[in-house]
Amino acid sequence: MDQHLKKKIDKAMQSLDGMAKASPPPFFFTRLEARMQREKNRWEVISSFVAKPIVAFACICLIIMINAVVILSSSNSKNVTDQQNSEQATADEYNSVSAPLYEFVNSTP
Amino acid sequence: MNEIELISLLKKKDREAFKVIVETWQDMVFNTAIGFLQNAEDAEDIAQEVFMQVFESVSSFKAESKISTWIYRITVSKCLDHLRKKKRKKRFAFIQSLYGKNDYLVIDPPDFFHPGVKAENKENAAILFKAIDKLPITQKTAFVLNKIENLSYREIGEIMNSSESAVDSLLQRAKKNLQTILKDHYLLLDS
Repeated sequence: MDQHLKKKIDKAMQSLDGMAKASPPPFFFTRLEARMQREKNRWEVISSFVAKPIVAFACICLIIMINAVVILSSSNSKNVTDQQNSEQATADEYNSVSAPLYEFVNSTP
Repeated sequence: MNEIELISLLKKKDREAFKVIVETWQDMVFNTAIGFLQNAEDAEDIAQEVFMQVFESVSSFKAESKISTWIYRITVSKCLDHLRKKKRKKRFAFIQSLYGKNDYLVIDPPDFFHPGVKAENKENAAILFKAIDKLPITQKTAFVLNKIENLSYREIGEIMNSSESAVDSLLQRAKKNLQTILKDHYLLLDS
């Protein structure tokens, strides 16, 4: 490394020596308190909204409705599956009878 | 008012005790944050978040370490979180620009001039800050606490939960890496 480059690097490395500490802008505590108040207000608005009886009641109703829909749809799908199974069984039975005939008609001599 | 009294008052959410804590340690927090983030607005934002966490989580403070060490730990972790979020945003913006969803260019931040640096060192310090930004997280933490906050190896070890010898080795590696980064920077400028 040449001397000129080494000198530049050393100068940069020493550039923070004897530096003063930075301070936040004036009235930092006032701004901090204002921000904390804003955050507190936001949470208060959210919690007071959630704690309203009408909102709580609506949430409970919604949960019950979702549960009911899920239970009903699962029992419907079970019925549909049973019906499909019986149809499939009937079709299999007929296929087993008609398949040899079909194969006989389509068979090449 | 000593530290134990201050903490017990703060646990009772005493406003005056909180004000004393903020006014005693605000310069320390801001100076550390500005060293990490290299941006005065971000540093003030983080300093506010640090004191909000001090206020909220004082009940978990067990007085096993000094208040300053506890506040330093919160400051360092907040700064690192902020840098991670910023990096993620930058990466996301870059990906968006590749897909043409984002028209603006992803540009490097402007040079940072620390307000406490002597006038004759401003240019060199800006180059050094850019190099510090490229260091691995642990090396950057040790270097900022040592160079900008003038903390001893023992104090840095307490903040980073590591031994003095580990801090010494981190600082040696940081200096070596900085010299390499600076060398590349000056060689690129000369070419």
